[in-house]
Amino acid sequence: MGKTIVEKILSKASGSDVHPDERIWAHVDLVTMRDFGGPNVVLEYRNSFGQRPLYDHESVAITFDLHVPPRDDRVAANQKMLREFAEQEGVTLFDVHSGVGQHVLFEHGFVKPWEVVIGTDSHMNLLGAFGCFATGVGTTDIVGALATGKLWFRVPHTYRYMVDGTLPHMVSAKDVILRILKEVGTDGAAYKAVEFAGAVVDRMNLSERITLTSMVTEMSGKIGFVPPNKSVVGFLSQRVKSEVQSIWADEDAQYERVLSFDATELQPQIACPDSPDNVMDVRSVAGTKIDQAFIGSCTNGRYEDLKAAADILNGRHVKPGVRLIVVPATMEVASQAVREGLYDIFLEAGAVVPNPSCALCTYGHPGILASGEVMVSTSNRNFIGKLGKGGKVYLASPATAAASAVRGVITDPRDI
Amino acid sequence: MRVATRGRIWKFGDDIDTDQIFPGKYLTLTDKSEMARHAMEGVPGRTSFAESVTPGDVIVAGRNFGCGSSREHAAVAIKGTGIAAVIAKSFARIFYRNCVNMALPILECDAVDELAEGDTVEVDLRKGTVRNLTSSREYCCSGLSGLEFEILGTGGLIEYLKKHFLKADA
Repeated sequence: MGKTIVEKILSKASGSDVHPDERIWAHVDLVTMRDFGGPNVVLEYRNSFGQRPLYDHESVAITFDLHVPPRDDRVAANQKMLREFAEQEGVTLFDVHSGVGQHVLFEHGFVKPWEVVIGTDSHMNLLGAFGCFATGVGTTDIVGALATGKLWFRVPHTYRYMVDGTLPHMVSAKDVILRILKEVGTDGAAYKAVEFAGAVVDRMNLSERITLTSMVTEMSGKIGFVPPNKSVVGFLSQRVKSEVQSIWADEDAQYERVLSFDATELQPQIACPDSPDNVMDVRSVAGTKIDQAFIGSCTNGRYEDLKAAADILNGRHVKPGVRLIVVPATMEVASQAVREGLYDIFLEAGAVVPNPSCALCTYGHPGILASGEVMVSTSNRNFIGKLGKGGKVYLASPATAAASAVRGVITDPRDI
Repeated sequence: MRVATRGRIWKFGDDIDTDQIFPGKYLTLTDKSEMARHAMEGVPGRTSFAESVTPGDVIVAGRNFGCGSSREHAAVAIKGTGIAAVIAKSFARIFYRNCVNMALPILECDAVDELAEGDTVEVDLRKGTVRNLTSSREYCCSGLSGLEFEILGTGGLIEYLKKHFLKADA
């Protein structure tokens, strides 16, 4: 019987022929932690294992992407603790200037197809766009893997989501994934792996693939894959020291569920408060007054995302009374955006452009909403209280967020 | 781990996310008893949950309990209140892992609608049964797998790893 992508990776990592629902011990190729969760990992590691050396310090990386630079005494102390741990253990650390962890890791050649990656970030699974099994876990999982290089997993069943047809003008990968979320719901892929396929997905560039795989988290999925094409393998080959081999499912792989979508008639989509699956056509809520827009996050913080927003903002200004906050995912993205003139467009439009980070996906990052205020965000979650008590968050594409910032009301980007 | 426990039910709905179980503004806390004081604080109407719980009580919830971020604080905070088990129709994946790893007993149960706030239940983790002493009815739940039960029974992931993988040089 053929295997899906996750079954192939976990068979390799466990050294056995695995099947869905089995509990296995798998070798972990990369263990990551960040300024959130990381301090607890260090405390728990020392508490559990004392000065015992890590299983393999070269397969560990620390990224700072939440409160960067630190915003208060406590965060500063936590980051200091991680720097000291990295120094002591010989672990690579990406400091406060770097940007969103997973993005920094793939830009620096830390991930490749066929590998198992874990991290203290519920959106680790966006790395499935590179054909590796990456998944968010808890502190104790990380501590255990630091000490032993292995972790227990329940082998997931795999769902296949096919997106065929042609994406219309101004309709993006974000609109596709929101439409799928509407269909399957916030627990639609619970405990499952998801493989995206079909003509629309095959044509997607890397940043679009990341947008799809990142939001598998919002369906409660374990991992979302897009089989790496030549372009993705080429991107990695320039950054990874060893050989990069792509991965795809066998033709006779067993999928527990297959869903098909046709993107040809798809309209810009928006997830309304307070759930990522409360999705409608943008036009059906157009005219709703907004107070803030945010463009960035691990879901929509790549150069192509910023470019889509800049194309709308070019020569226009944010509506007086509305705040627009644009945050590149990483320093590499920011540098490209500066080189290509995007920063000029954002600044002339009246946007605030902080340094690369997870930005408004983190409670406590500047950009909190007052009670009753409304934001259109390109991030991935709009749960109650996520960005300020009583604030309401709509999730949409960079183009929709930019168009809404210009008009001061929720706006379909085709109507501007 | 106690295999059987008896306590009062604290009832919650569907999609209780980790921001409600343990609000993000407390994420910099590292002290476990301090974390426990904020358990379930983000759920509307439950701001005083932690001080009302009696050790041995049980949380009963709907679908997708613990969705949202990967914060282990959520499981740690609940365990810290003395809650003996969490029963839900389904759990979010990472929260499920965290509970196994922290030795906080969990059960997936379809009969959640038959369990009401304030009812007294008896939970048998080995058999995977939930007995509602208030209504005198018993329900079978899908219990934990062999490996998960072993990890819980050993006292959590770290103890398990020490016992099985790091024994020689522990």
